[in-house]
Amino acid sequence: MTPNSVSVERSTGDRVEARRDGGHVVYYACKYTPVELLAGFGARSELAEADVSSFDEADRLAHPNLCGYGKGLIERLLRDDVREVVLITCCDVIKRAYDVLREQGDFDFIYLLDLPHKRGEAERRLFRARLADLADRYAEYSGRSFDVGAALAAFEPPVRSTGDHVTLLGAHATRALLDNVGEGVGYPVENGTCTERHLLVTPPPELARAASEGDCSACGDDAGAGVGRAGGTLDTFLDWYAGALLNQMPCMRMDDVSQRAKLHGGKGQRGVIYHTMKFCDYYGFEYALATKEEDLPMVKIETDGTSQSLGQLRTRLEAFGETLHGADVAREAAGSREGLGRGYVMGVDSGSTSTDAAIMDERGNLVATVILPTGAKATESARRAKAEVLEKAGLREEDMALKVSTGYGRDNIPDMDTAITEITCHAKGAHFLMPEARTIIDIGGQDSKVIHLDDRGNVLNFVMNDKCAAGTGRFMEMMARTLEMSLEDFCRTGLEWKHEVKISSMCTVFAESEVVSLVAEDTPTPDIIHGLCESVARKTATLARRVNGEAPYLMTGGVANNAGVVQALTNVLGAPVATHEDSQLCGAIGAALLGLESLQQG
Amino acid sequence: MAEQSLGGRILDGYGDLIAQHIDDAPEGVRQALSVAFNVERAKVTILPELKVHPFSRDAASIALRSVTDALNDFGSSVVTSIFLPSEMFLSMGVHPVTAEALSGFVTAAHAETGFVGEAEGMGVPETYCSFHKVLMGLATSGVLPAPRLLASCSVPCDANNLSFKALSHVWGTPHVYVDVPYSTADDAAAVSYVADQLRSLAHAAERAYGTDLDEEELRRHVANSQETLASLRRSLPLRRGHFMRSDMGNEMQLALATHLWLGTDDTLRMARHMERDLADAQDFDGVSIVWGHIPPFFLRSIAEPTSQSRDAQIIATDMLYDQVGPDEPRYDADHPFEAMAERLLDDCFNGPATRRADRLCSLARQTGADGAVVFVHWGCKETAGAAQLMRRQLESQGFPTLVLDGDGCDRGNCMEGQMSTRFSAFLEMLRARREAA
Repeated sequence: MTPNSVSVERSTGDRVEARRDGGHVVYYACKYTPVELLAGFGARSELAEADVSSFDEADRLAHPNLCGYGKGLIERLLRDDVREVVLITCCDVIKRAYDVLREQGDFDFIYLLDLPHKRGEAERRLFRARLADLADRYAEYSGRSFDVGAALAAFEPPVRSTGDHVTLLGAHATRALLDNVGEGVGYPVENGTCTERHLLVTPPPELARAASEGDCSACGDDAGAGVGRAGGTLDTFLDWYAGALLNQMPCMRMDDVSQRAKLHGGKGQRGVIYHTMKFCDYYGFEYALATKEEDLPMVKIETDGTSQSLGQLRTRLEAFGETLHGADVAREAAGSREGLGRGYVMGVDSGSTSTDAAIMDERGNLVATVILPTGAKATESARRAKAEVLEKAGLREEDMALKVSTGYGRDNIPDMDTAITEITCHAKGAHFLMPEARTIIDIGGQDSKVIHLDDRGNVLNFVMNDKCAAGTGRFMEMMARTLEMSLEDFCRTGLEWKHEVKISSMCTVFAESEVVSLVAEDTPTPDIIHGLCESVARKTATLARRVNGEAPYLMTGGVANNAGVVQALTNVLGAPVATHEDSQLCGAIGAALLGLESLQQG
Repeated sequence: MAEQSLGGRILDGYGDLIAQHIDDAPEGVRQALSVAFNVERAKVTILPELKVHPFSRDAASIALRSVTDALNDFGSSVVTSIFLPSEMFLSMGVHPVTAEALSGFVTAAHAETGFVGEAEGMGVPETYCSFHKVLMGLATSGVLPAPRLLASCSVPCDANNLSFKALSHVWGTPHVYVDVPYSTADDAAAVSYVADQLRSLAHAAERAYGTDLDEEELRRHVANSQETLASLRRSLPLRRGHFMRSDMGNEMQLALATHLWLGTDDTLRMARHMERDLADAQDFDGVSIVWGHIPPFFLRSIAEPTSQSRDAQIIATDMLYDQVGPDEPRYDADHPFEAMAERLLDDCFNGPATRRADRLCSLARQTGADGAVVFVHWGCKETAGAAQLMRRQLESQGFPTLVLDGDGCDRGNCMEGQMSTRFSAFLEMLRARREAA
């Protein structure tokens, strides 16, 4: 017995009830969980999905500043249907989740298995002893003996995908996330996240022979019968199993992670999606290193570990899919529209604040544009934008060879030929407005993004803010409201600053608190606004560095109208940041251009 | 917002200057920081703070030296994690320096924002521990040159794994990681496992610094460590009902001195001074609290109510008493590696959260505290996940507890107004409770 591992066992009556409800089901959360060992005791191991509807209990029992998976685990494992739990000391959050579960839960069996951070011989011996302790505890609790045949039958052969696919790496992914990635990117998904088992070896023949001997014992030999470890068979199994489990493809918490390089660039791998969560730090670090591999198409996504946060990922995943597929969706649509119309193309950008439309002729000249507020009904605004831009151009809908939509509402605009994400459209539109620009900084009402371009306006890399409002137009609006000013006055007043004021926090709520304190100290309003502009600039510059952004910079989106932010960005980036009077039309122009290109190529 | 510095404000306005030049003049920034810390070190030596106990002045001097020595001669430094035993390095004349020490002083110079931004720009998650973010920023900006060795251990948190691995990549410096089982020193196999890793670390240090480890010198340092911790154990009950005359900066300095410089003659002297000073200390009838984690010394509104105050004081922290258990050590200085392994395994920050909760309860009981604060430092999942459990355990033993969210070194993650209201209201509640009793 090792003092680090703790189990709780309940009475025989409870066990009988648990079995009647479906036998022994062990819930787990880490790929180092010895599911085959537990299978040897007749237990089925179930990965705890933790796709919960709220974190209220976890916030109350632990703390909000844990990763979504850890909080979801607390919520999920405290439900009545969970009777048996085996967790691993895999990271800080899971260790603390175990503490809370042990204190609050009413389990038949709960066990924390200590996993070494290294994989040498000393660690293998240590880990083997801990597995043996778990086996003893589980045998004692369940009243079952170890059946090596059942353990071996639970092994899944280590076969990697070789056909075209994308690999999802990083923090645990729910089934819904895996489905979303597959649908968004348009390739089958290989799951390489932290909870997905990745053994690199198969059981040796000696163990299979031991299994056969075990079968014989069922006919009369008592070697495998009775309660307990079944002596030599379990020992032989553990001698091999401890090393096999410890030496699987390492997760990021292991000391030596050099083997993880093999997760990038395998046969058929078209790209990598990195999944991170707030307060899970491991995979942010790996992503930062991996971005230095320029040949590997990669995108980072962030969720809170539940399927509720998946909606915001659609644009990112589809944009990534577009870069992987190369020949874009518009080309396919163009093929189906060949011969129709008079060579005009229309782009419509349905954004959160405004709905913009542009019409281009076959030579790439802008014929007409309109900008309308989106208002409460995005579909209706898009219908009006289309009608107005056609009227302005003196054209009819039948004159359009192709109509391409983009923006948040792109899939809900009636009678469009295809939809392309605003990332791809924005890049193309920005290149049209300022061909020399290599980095586009777009700060809109809902989100901010930085796009790194090549000299033809193709996306090299992009990054978007997560769902928090830090550094977005919404952040500025809320700060203006705190100062009781209109956004227009706010922008103008900020230019009159005299003294540096530092707003440390990027969090909207924290920053508001800082602003209130500054107001209480009679700090001049222009200085506070300047501090806020600097704060947004710092946040944006951080995003720019993540995509290896380079000059010349072009700033677009509503916040580009705030001269204070533009100036602050120029200072922080150490290079001029240009704006363009038509920058708001970037998305619509880009959509039209992509339509035109596809017609010309198609 | 105005702040109080670590043992007195170092240099106002440095932060902005530093932030502006992190990218274009990292060497100049390093020198600017070094000058600031050396000025403060001279001040502590020549014009010591007279309001505090002499042992607090000792701690200030030791803590400042840990950073100034490192910045003045980084080639002779080792970047370590705060819970990793230092005696091997100290025996070889190598200066240990940690994220907490560097970040604490950078924050005191109002310079943390630039380094946090630098680290986040390199992809370090925003929700990562700020102490480590500042360290990463110092490294990636080039302000800190590469040391010859990186050494860390798995206690207490994942950051010691991640940051050091990443720093090894950034600096091209070897990194030795000590894996500490989730166990206690009752487990002989665990002691032997950790001791063997510490031996390997000592060999790595010999190779990195081209110096042989003098085992006799190592035994002397380990004997010093054990005597220092014994002295701390004796001084703990002396805190009861006595005036600490300290502030949050002192508490951080004490934590640095008793970890990084544990084993030195200076730290042993400081511990003995503490015993003497506390035995002679004035009586105190204000509110006394036990503090969990490193306090945010730089937030004036949080630090002021307990700064050399007659009304409220921090009477003990788990960052000072984490290595001071109820039992005598099993291994003496003749088995230096086993003795260090034992200390690491038995640290209350290793193993289940109940162990740390037990230590906080024990500190509160022995010092007669009125209550406790569990400070949830931003990005510290070890503390965040255990915070409510520790609160429940403390309160079940009669110690009202405040779980206070903030950041131990980054102003950007602190809602000072709200923190101040909560902390002050908690102190008022304890005062009322005391008066009613």
